[in-house]
Amino acid sequence: MLLNRQLVFLYVTLAVSVGYLVTALSLGAPVAENGLTPAFFPILVGGAAIVFCSILILQALRASSEAKAAKSETKSDTGPATPEIRNYTHLWVVVAIFFYILGFKPLGYFLSSGLFVFALILLFSKFDKLLLKALISAAVVGTAYLMFQQLFGVRLPTLWG
Amino acid sequence: MDFIFLVFSSFSLLADPVILTYVILGFVIGTIFAAIPGLTATLAMALLLPLTYTLNVETALMACASIYMAGMCGGSITATTINIPGAPSSMMTALDGYPMQQQGKGALALGHAALGSMFGGAVGALLLIAVAPFVAELSLLVKTTGKFSLLAFALIVVVIAQRGRIPQAGLAACIGLMLATVGLDAMEPVTRFTYGYSNLTAGIDLMPVIIGTFAIAEVLTQASSRADISAATAAASKVKIRRRDFIPPLSDIRKVGFGVYFKSCLIGYFVGTLPGAGGSMGSFLAYTETVRTSDDPESFGKGNPKGIAASESANNAVCGGAMVPMLTFGIPGDPITAIMLGVLVINGIQPGPQLMSDQAGLIAPMLAALLFSAVVLIPLTLWLIGPYFIKIVSVRKDVLYAVIALLAVVGSYVATYSTFQMFMALGMGVLAFYLRRNGFPVITMLLGYILGPNLEEFLRRSLALSNGDPTTFFTNPDSLFFVALTLVFVYFLVIRKPAKAPAAATSK
Repeated sequence: MLLNRQLVFLYVTLAVSVGYLVTALSLGAPVAENGLTPAFFPILVGGAAIVFCSILILQALRASSEAKAAKSETKSDTGPATPEIRNYTHLWVVVAIFFYILGFKPLGYFLSSGLFVFALILLFSKFDKLLLKALISAAVVGTAYLMFQQLFGVRLPTLWG
Repeated sequence: MDFIFLVFSSFSLLADPVILTYVILGFVIGTIFAAIPGLTATLAMALLLPLTYTLNVETALMACASIYMAGMCGGSITATTINIPGAPSSMMTALDGYPMQQQGKGALALGHAALGSMFGGAVGALLLIAVAPFVAELSLLVKTTGKFSLLAFALIVVVIAQRGRIPQAGLAACIGLMLATVGLDAMEPVTRFTYGYSNLTAGIDLMPVIIGTFAIAEVLTQASSRADISAATAAASKVKIRRRDFIPPLSDIRKVGFGVYFKSCLIGYFVGTLPGAGGSMGSFLAYTETVRTSDDPESFGKGNPKGIAASESANNAVCGGAMVPMLTFGIPGDPITAIMLGVLVINGIQPGPQLMSDQAGLIAPMLAALLFSAVVLIPLTLWLIGPYFIKIVSVRKDVLYAVIALLAVVGSYVATYSTFQMFMALGMGVLAFYLRRNGFPVITMLLGYILGPNLEEFLRRSLALSNGDPTTFFTNPDSLFFVALTLVFVYFLVIRKPAKAPAAATSK
């Protein structure tokens, strides 16, 4: 499963590299009469990225087939393998950051940051002692505000302008 | 000589209570981050980078220098007491530090680590102060073609230094170079890879790249791993350290020997000058060399203070070494010097050969702070708060990561007061997280991104000057020197078989 995930990542990187190379080629000829053009370097980099991606995909495919062969050999001896437990907390953190940024200006620093810190504390711990965690969130947001706004003079958005 | 005098006269700046507070605060923050397994001084510096906007550049650089020095020695605390290196550079320290802890000599091991760090940091800083002006003068001799070959050398060395994962490092470097090409071309009025989005015309800003790569990616990594820290917390609660046991007896220091300290410092310093090598490689090589030349190699890994001294002297000497290419050529040796480079760039200072001559007044206080951190802050911090540092491991991780995430996201807003930079930091964080998760070294991506614009510019200028003749890179002596140096490194790092790690290190 790990190898499959790695392969997916490599395929996505390959697709991005191909897209980058196509865009670089659309910038025009890499060499002109007066020297190299803005297209030259991106074409070089895009080409190199595709080569590295291809090497890594080949390596991963080879390792995948070897792992499958080894797995089928051991399967009969050990019985069915236990399913891998997946952890998706990082995806929830990404979602939390995304919505925090979206709400940062409309909701203001205090409300958006308070909700964000509270959500993150819950994601990194158990769903209990909510009042204590809410109080900790408020303290963290207040301290960060003092640090940014008062100590370092950074203007943060607030609902009162 | 003038520069050396300037550095020593910069110590007077530390008499300013505000500057001294920032330097001490930087050191304490760096130590705390380095001591907590999973967090690094790089993360601390990435989080504090936005705040440098409001500080004057000398103060910001001085605080950065103290964070850097603290980051190299802070990891030895948990490495010694609970066998979990707080930072990768302290991995070798754990080999002998933890057995000493088990023998009831944990405080003594920490004392040896602090002494080694102090010595290494001081020698590294003094070598930097003495050597950097000469390297800067030499660097003025490097012309356009040589500059391209030098940058290509740095990038190639960073890639091939990642033994066992060179294709991953190569791809990561390409991703960094791709990011560097976004925006307006440096030589012609052409926008590239902006896809009509005006926010990208000026290119991708350094701030979201650093915050995303080091802070947001770290939070995502911690969220995705189900690391059980209860064992570490329980082990930390059992550790009792008394202040009076910190000072190593003179007989112990004599047994370690000046030669071990000094040789390890030199190894660390020279490893530091290589792009991408870093503190962990410095301490590994110094440790290996100390074992190789020891009369009693069997005692290593069982609580030999020589191992601690070698490892800690070397990783702190790396600080001085890594600043040589950063200050003289604008090539960062590791992530921390890359962020320091960011501080310079944010303040409109272009690192490179002219920096040491034109802006020596800005650089000298930073080197003074580096030396001050090594000689004064390392022993003082250990003495004052050493017994309590081990409790850092027990800090609530849910609150810690929430604070880091908050500082990272709001910090990326500070640069331009635009939410676009916040989204960019998130995007970079997600990219760096998946790169790390799949075994890609993010330092090569960062170096590709930092060196990319100059690499392209010098390539195009070199070929324009030679009417498109690529042999110019082999006919110019400065360029030929770096081409030859690249080949030497390729031979030693790729073609020749690498040296084997000591058994104790590999089993770890």
